[in-house]
Amino acid sequence: MIIPSPGLPTPPSRHRTSRRAALGEGLAATLAASRLLAPSLFVGCSLGIPPRAATVTVGLLHSQTGPLAIGSTSVRDIETHAVERFNASGGVLGHQVTIRGPDTRSRSELFPRRATELLDAGAVALFGRWSSASRKAVLPVIEARDALLYYPVQYEGNETSRHVVYGGQLPNQQILPAIDWLASDAGGNRRKVFLLGSDIVSSRTTNFVTKKWLAEKGITVAGEEYFPLDHEDFAPVVGRIADSGADWILNTVNGEGNIHLFGNLAAKLDAATVPMVSTSISEDDLRSVPRGVAEGHFVLSNYFQTIDSPVNREWMEGFRAEFGRDRVFGDTMESAWSLIHLWKTAVEKAGSFEVDAVRSAFASGLSFAGPGGPVALDAATQHCSRYFRLGKIRRDHLCDIVRSSEEPIAPDPYPQIAFPGWKCDWTRGGLERGPEVTIDG
Amino acid sequence: MSYDFSWVYQMPPWRLALLMVGLFVGFYWVGAIFIRPFLRVLVRRSPGLNDLIGYVLSCFCVFYGLLLGLIAVTAYQNYAEADQNVTREATALSALYEDVSRYPEPFGQDLRWLLRDYTRYVIRYAWPLQRQGIVPQEGTIRAEALFDRLLDFQPKTPSEQILHAEALRQLNHFLECRRMRLFSVTNGLPASMWYVMFVGAAFNIILCWMFDTKFMTQLVLGGILAAYLGMMMYLIIDMNQPFRGEVSITPEVFEVLYRRMDDV
Repeated sequence: MIIPSPGLPTPPSRHRTSRRAALGEGLAATLAASRLLAPSLFVGCSLGIPPRAATVTVGLLHSQTGPLAIGSTSVRDIETHAVERFNASGGVLGHQVTIRGPDTRSRSELFPRRATELLDAGAVALFGRWSSASRKAVLPVIEARDALLYYPVQYEGNETSRHVVYGGQLPNQQILPAIDWLASDAGGNRRKVFLLGSDIVSSRTTNFVTKKWLAEKGITVAGEEYFPLDHEDFAPVVGRIADSGADWILNTVNGEGNIHLFGNLAAKLDAATVPMVSTSISEDDLRSVPRGVAEGHFVLSNYFQTIDSPVNREWMEGFRAEFGRDRVFGDTMESAWSLIHLWKTAVEKAGSFEVDAVRSAFASGLSFAGPGGPVALDAATQHCSRYFRLGKIRRDHLCDIVRSSEEPIAPDPYPQIAFPGWKCDWTRGGLERGPEVTIDG
Repeated sequence: MSYDFSWVYQMPPWRLALLMVGLFVGFYWVGAIFIRPFLRVLVRRSPGLNDLIGYVLSCFCVFYGLLLGLIAVTAYQNYAEADQNVTREATALSALYEDVSRYPEPFGQDLRWLLRDYTRYVIRYAWPLQRQGIVPQEGTIRAEALFDRLLDFQPKTPSEQILHAEALRQLNHFLECRRMRLFSVTNGLPASMWYVMFVGAAFNIILCWMFDTKFMTQLVLGGILAAYLGMMMYLIIDMNQPFRGEVSITPEVFEVLYRRMDDV
């Protein structure tokens, strides 16, 4: 740059720019800058912003606070783990699956409200819930909205809804084979049973079916008692069991009452003489029972953590790597894992998330190699085939499997011995009603 | 109706910086070509004009510079405070985890699971939502579950009472820090400040257009000033929301804690 000296004429610039030329140069410079930035500013508006993947929402209906929280939380975690694995391997039908998991606070009346909120938010499927009361509370909502619920919990049967896929064991897959075994020589030839349960629909219905079966087999019912869910003092009933001469106990008590029941039982009766067979407790729930008091009693389940198979080991390892090395597994977790995989298979077969298309895919025969063994969905009843397994509780609260069915048992939500004339086949007309059945209580 | 500018936080920082500089320089140059001739008609050429504009500009720049500087410092302070708060939350969680690890079973195990679950949720689900400027909701459910389970525990010995009191104190501290983190997700400069900043930048540029200089000098010097204004805007935008954009607070402290939780 030439700086003019005072008193001297300004030297002529060698490149004197005219106004017109300068305007042209400025315009050219602006256009050049625009062209440089254009690919990121305007063309396709890329700006380095990653494109959004297609997403689909599933709803997890679980109680994360209140008395049902601990068991439900483990089920929520395993479902979350499954979804994360789906997403890591490309999602479902190319969609990333997002989870919505409101808290139902262990209150049955909140389940329908939360289900409605999830469906309003666009959930294509609902997973979860715990008690039969909560399942029944949700049924009107999912039927009115034509939605599908995947229910992983062992339950009493006597229900088939076109809008529910049932993953848990039914009495014919759990209790009835256990009765047969306990009445056999290998099972101790036990002929007198005391029925203990919670005063809820699932316990009463289960025992209704059980009593029919016991009568058929010539086994005596020494007593039958029901207690509120928050009942703690089982010492009097344990005394009555001892007096009744029962040689085994069938326990359908739900929830934390089991902690007190095991304690009261250990104080009075020997597990080797009068074993208790529980239907609604898993290795996960047994953590709450004081060490040693449950030893020698039995648990009925489709799945035990002690199943020695590569699929089970890989499943447990995968979950523990993500959620913690000390995590314990239970039957409902296994069932929930299998159900969510069956949902994925159905959606992929249907090529759609639409409920009707997914339901149509059920008829094609869905199966999944679960940690507890192969699971097949029966399109006729929308229940799953499950193994019968009887586990003997160890001191460390894990269970040794003492009896297992050779293969998964087909589901029968209406055992004819208890519900004569009742049948369900959704592939051929649906529910066929028999005579009205009244369940005691 | 307000326009959603959240897309700026999805851009890589260098692109955002380039965009801001490009916008300001482009605006300056386009104005220099098309608007400046009209300004020069309005403000007629006179011998002392450049000096006058220079005085006005320098006076204006003092106020505007102060405003920009203070806003940049405030944005950085917000960022630093949010960062410290995240560290405090993780520290409180860590202390709580240590406390509950000494609880009798199954409480200890249940509480450890719930704490791990909360930490995992923060890393895997809450943080991506915060990055989009969304306040995560389901962490509240997990915090409530933790609170509920902790209150279920009834201490039986004096040492358990002391331990429980300390755990509850840590829980309250953790909940307080958590609330602060959630508040800072949507915390940012108010819209009025953004208007003042952009209008101030426009005045700066208009004053520069009024200078009576050679055209190329105008483009080069004005372009440098505009580029610097763009850089300042980029800095403030990037710091404004501490959890958004690539240059933002990361969940690293929670990740470290989560790895350690599995070892305890």
